[in-house]
Order: sequence, then C-alpha cells, then structure tokens
Amino acid sequence: MSDSIILGIETSCDETAVGIVQGRTLLANVIASSVDEHARFGGVVPEIASRAHLEAMLPTIEKALRDSKVTLADIDAIAVTAGPGLVGALLVGTSAATGLALGLGKPIYGVNHLAAHISVDALAHRHPLESTIALLVSGGHSSLLQINDITSSIAQLGATMDDAAGEAFDKISRVMGLGFPGGPAIDRTALDGDPEAIDFPRGLTQPSDWRTRPFDFSFSGLKTAVARYLEATPDFHKANVAASFQEAIVDVLLLKALAACKESGIDSLLIAGGVAANSRLRALASQRCEKSGVRLRIPRPDLCTDNGAMVAALGSLMVMAGRPGSQIDFEATSSLPVTTLSLTS
Amino acid sequence: MTTYLAIDTSTSRTSVAVVIDNQCVWTDYRDGATEHGQSLATLVKAAISDHQIIDSVVVGMGPGPYTGLRIGISFARTFALARGIDINGVNSLDALALNFHSADFIVATDARRKEIYWARYTNSVRVEGPSVDLPETVKSRDLPIYGEGAMKYSLGAHENAFPNPALLVTLASDPKNFVDEPLYLRRPDAVATVDRA
Ligand SMILES: [Zn+2]
Repeated sequence: MSDSIILGIETSCDETAVGIVQGRTLLANVIASSVDEHARFGGVVPEIASRAHLEAMLPTIEKALRDSKVTLADIDAIAVTAGPGLVGALLVGTSAATGLALGLGKPIYGVNHLAAHISVDALAHRHPLESTIALLVSGGHSSLLQINDITSSIAQLGATMDDAAGEAFDKISRVMGLGFPGGPAIDRTALDGDPEAIDFPRGLTQPSDWRTRPFDFSFSGLKTAVARYLEATPDFHKANVAASFQEAIVDVLLLKALAACKESGIDSLLIAGGVAANSRLRALASQRCEKSGVRLRIPRPDLCTDNGAMVAALGSLMVMAGRPGSQIDFEATSSLPVTTLSLTS
Repeated sequence: MTTYLAIDTSTSRTSVAVVIDNQCVWTDYRDGATEHGQSLATLVKAAISDHQIIDSVVVGMGPGPYTGLRIGISFARTFALARGIDINGVNSLDALALNFHSADFIVATDARRKEIYWARYTNSVRVEGPSVDLPETVKSRDLPIYGEGAMKYSLGAHENAFPNPALLVTLASDPKNFVDEPLYLRRPDAVATVDRA
C-alpha cells in the first residue's frame, strides 16, 4: 500500500501556503505572500493579511495540485494550522480546510504551527526523528524544546521572556532603516560586516541566569543596547552593526541550545522556524555542533520560513502514527501552546 | 433538478440551507458572532449527511463583519472546489430584503463600531446602498427599517431580522445578482509607518 497523501494549509501570518506530501515525500509547496503589502506599515497588518489569504486561497490550492500532479480525489487527509497565529488569518485557513474536508469526505487534522516547523524535517530524512533538542526561532517564537516523538508530545525547556528572535531582527532592521522583514535584510547587510566589531550584550547569560533560567532567552536588553549605540554613533558602520547584532543573537541561541543538549544527554539538535534560514545561524551552528559532537539538522531555507509543506508533513506523521483527526468543529486558537500538537477529539 | 447548498455568515447568525428546485428541504442556524467557523462546520456536516449530492453552492458575500464573512466565503469556495461544482455569491442584504414586502424600506445589519450596513429597496429593487453608516444617518431617511441592525439600535421591527439562506438561492437564479468579491465596504485599519507623525 502506498503512503497517504496529505494536503496542508498554512495561514497563521502573512503567507497563504499550501503543501502536498505523500508519506515523507514532498510533492508540492506553494506560497503566496502578502509581505509587500505590509512593508510600508513596518509590520504585518492583520486585516490586510486576512483579506489577502481569502484572495490567494483557491489559486494557491490549485497551483499546489498542478505542481504535485495529484487530484483532489487522491487526497487522503487535510491538515491545517489551528494556531498559534493571527486569529482572523487562521480562520481563513481553517474554514478553507474544513470546506475541503467536508466536500471530499476526508479527515482533517488541526495542527500546531510550531510543531509543524519541526516536522518539516521529516521531508529530508527517510527515518523518524530520534530524540532531539529543538531550537525553534521565528518572528513570533523562540523556544528550546525536547522532542521524543513529534506526533505525541513536546516538552518545553525554555522560551523567550520578551521579544522573539525574529521580532528583534525586525525592530533593529527598522531603526537601522533596512526595511521589513528584518531577518533577510540584516543577514544581507551583515555579510560585509565584522561580527566582533561591537560587543553587544548576550541576554540571560550571567552565572545567576545559568542557575535559574538556563534555557530562557531575552532580547530586549540587546535591542536597547543597539538602539543606544545607533543614537550615540551618528556615523555608525551599517554592516558592522548588523553583523555584531546578529552575532549576539546567534551566539546566545546556540550557547543555550548546546547547553540543553549537554544537560539532557541528547546529542542531536534540530533548528527550525523562520530565523533558521539565517545564514550566520546555519554556519555557526554547524561549526559548534561539530566541535561538541552534536548531530545537527536544519531544514533547507525555503522550508524554514512559513510554508504549507510543514503542515502537511505534521499531518502525514500523524496519519502514519495512526493518530485520530480533529473534530470537524475544532476551534482555531491564536495562543495555542507549543505543547498542544494537534486538536484531537 | 439542481440541489443547492446555501451559506450565509454575514451577520451574527450562521445559517445553512439545502434547496432543491426552489423548495427548501433542509435549513438550520446557530447564533454567535465569534463562532461562525465552528457553527458552519457543524451545520454543513448535518446538511450533507441528509443530502449527500450537492450540485451548486450559493454564498452570502455580505456586507458583513470581516472575519465571519470570510469564514463563509472561504468554506464555500473550497467545498465547491472539492465537489467540482459551481459557486456563486450574492448580496446578503438583498436576501434579507426578500423577507419584507413594503413598497419603500431599508434593511440594516450590524456593522460593529456603532455603525450599520444598510440598503434601500423601492418596489423590490435596490435603489441605494449597500453602504455603512451611523444608525442616525439612516434613521433620518424616515423609512421603515428592518433587520438585525434595526433591532440592535431600536430603529424598527424585530421579525425576520437575518438573511434567509434559502432566499440566497432565489437571488442566484439571476446572474445579474452575482457578486464575486466580499463586500467589505471599509478599508483595512492600518497606519503606514511612513504616514505616522
Ligand atoms: Zn512560523
């Protein structure tokens, strides 16, 4: 019997994304982004995102079907992001998914966006993910997780106390006049800079922090320090500031992730989420993991940022593990905790 | 013989009907301004368990509060895609107006933010609207006002205050009534960073 085919829908923020996965094989991954419409506002405007999702939904599904060369009749289950995210945006996706599921008479899996970021790893490896520490870093989230089986439970070891890593990128990019979204802009600018030019603070890395909050993050002090530096240095060197700021974030993310590997005795690290597309994070992670004897997995950059394939991948893992689908009237939840993998009955 | 599935989520009520040749054979609704998604899934599941074959979908395109409206349209479009059947949108206020028989009147629904969506009908033809305005502005026209919006602001009658989904199908019999895009009637609230003081 061939593996089930899962169609996944993602609309938690500003990308309308549809992916199609068969077992562990990616068949299609189509993304329509409204990011350009948000750029002049310096951030995602929820109502603009929701309108764009509704406009893009059908064309995105149709393109994914064409790319994958399967028909709707071949789809065995629908997966959709049930949260966390912007509630008005999530609801466009969940109602589209519900319409498909009821129209086709197939099960629906309302899944967690954060767990989906991690699950996309399944598409790059033939074998199930062994126990791993996961560093999940995106515009909305920064957490350290321990995962034994992604279809049954995730334990949270630590999280950000204030801004998410991606949010810090956006804010600093804005004050430096580099535009929105900040992650790619800073990554590009930093290429020509010296990461050691300015010694920006590493949040929650004092000896007392390592005792009380070893796996939590804080980026607000860093943000303030960069803003002060820019104010005090009118002729600042853009590339050096970008590189040094980026280094401070990446350094602390990896310090804590590798400390979690050491403490748990798990010599495997998975980095996921939009910030995992950052080139400096990828390079430094591979250096440091090699040095520490930790196996590193990072999805390819286009599967790190929000996409539908990751949602389909989590749905597919759920189906392969024999997990039940969600009730048809499950509720999209904007603040769904990372530990809730899917909305089951 | 055509079997229609009709859906309206343009007001605080989520309503669904199955209509076969102008005959409503199944209809139900649920009230709740923040539960359109869950209500719609439950209602359609019940409707299609009784009527498995659906030939066409008709959906109310508003005007209506954004989130609920989008839930109905998003669902209706993918349901039709899944079944490989037609889908058409119509103006929800036009359906609401079919509940009433005065010569000259206004129907209104709740637009939140102390405003109402409204339209005026003379001899069954829409002559003004759809628009969104303060209740006082509409009241000053001195015509009978019906619908959820009239009820909420004590402007008029309490009966038949919501669009009847079966009447969406009546409207859809004339292609002149088709509406392709959601009737938001307002621009999104957003202030560009470049526009900020
Ligand atoms: Zn994400």
